[in-house]
Amino acid sequence: MTEVDISWPWQYSFPPFFTLQPHPETRSKQVAAWKTLILDYCRQTKTYSLDVREANQWPLFSNSAINRKLDSNVIISILSELAKNGNAAALDKAKNRWEIYWHTLEEWASMIYGYICESGLQNSVITFFELSNGTDVEGQEFFGIQTEVLIKVLRVLENDRKCELILADDMQGVKFF
Amino acid sequence: MRRGVGLGAIQKHKLEQAKYTNIGNEIQENQIEQMTKQLDVFRVHLEDFASKHKNEIKKNGEFRRQFQEMCATIGVDPLSSGKGFWSVLGIGDFYYELAVQIVEVCLATNSKNGGLISLDELRSKLIKARGQSKQHQEISKDDLLRAAQKLKIFGSGFSVVPVGNGQYMVHSVPGELSMDHGAILQLLSTKNLCSISTNILCDELNWREDRAKQALEQMLDQGLSWIDLQGDDCPVYFFPSLFNVGSSEE
Repeated sequence: MTEVDISWPWQYSFPPFFTLQPHPETRSKQVAAWKTLILDYCRQTKTYSLDVREANQWPLFSNSAINRKLDSNVIISILSELAKNGNAAALDKAKNRWEIYWHTLEEWASMIYGYICESGLQNSVITFFELSNGTDVEGQEFFGIQTEVLIKVLRVLENDRKCELILADDMQGVKFF
Repeated sequence: MRRGVGLGAIQKHKLEQAKYTNIGNEIQENQIEQMTKQLDVFRVHLEDFASKHKNEIKKNGEFRRQFQEMCATIGVDPLSSGKGFWSVLGIGDFYYELAVQIVEVCLATNSKNGGLISLDELRSKLIKARGQSKQHQEISKDDLLRAAQKLKIFGSGFSVVPVGNGQYMVHSVPGELSMDHGAILQLLSTKNLCSISTNILCDELNWREDRAKQALEQMLDQGLSWIDLQGDDCPVYFFPSLFNVGSSEE
């Protein structure tokens, strides 16, 4: 986990923010604030996936200054809310492991395809590593994207017949059209 | 001396009385007439004064307050009527505009505070929103109170709650705040707290536990407070409207 200065919202130091609120209207405000905070945090720390059993110790869900923690079950229910908008996806049935998409897969897809078109890379083969970590993509929003997420993004493009994945043992890459 | 007896004397006495009453009435009428004249003169002068100092009234907060007080003593309310002389002056407009801005700030901060805001915070937010020039900045708490109280005519959706020490809170969601709710806010405000538990409330106000619990739960149900279950051993109710006032925020 990289250390980044997070600009926490006011709720983060508001103790009851870490207790799920009973009043429906207040709760919807609370959940909305959590959703924003989770996505902001993951964007700033470049976090693409998390395991709830571990993440409940992260500063994101645990503010030691006021000695408050968000319960794992609450974390899962908020992540499930994020999943409804395509901002997260559970990786296992117990909903412990999650991928977080602070850009939805579709947004990532159009971003990457936009870059490919701009750089005239259609009809050439690029490895996943080049696409996510190559020197050419440094400074791009998707620089450093986790391979598992990248593959899902490319699947979206593949469905639109904009690329084809090559998943051989010796070479993992993609050809754009 | 001849004593007045008999019919003649009674009639004379009656006549005298009637004369006295007449004179009395005359004097009274005179006085009223004079008073009315004086008031008319005063009103004309006041109107003169107001139109002469129109700009000053709009720009200078202290001046405006004193003018309002002066009007109040003679029973003129420049805000009460949009018709006639005072509307030409546009003093009402000033407060109407302010009232609209107050509603705007209340709506904008509702997501944070659930519809309860301290007058101080309201003022600083409003000033920020009003732009930089000096005349926009000089809005006193007195102005805000006047404008906010005008909003009462829209029903129970808007009220100003005094919380002691010259502090006020503006409540901008439907539903009345009871005396007990007011007492809780007052206690928090004087102690400079943003949270409270049933126990502390019982101790401080000498309430029975069910009364304290009911009042706090009602405020929770109105979205005015949040509950924290990770405190020591009992639930603690937090009021976002009183949280972080004037500190780290923004």
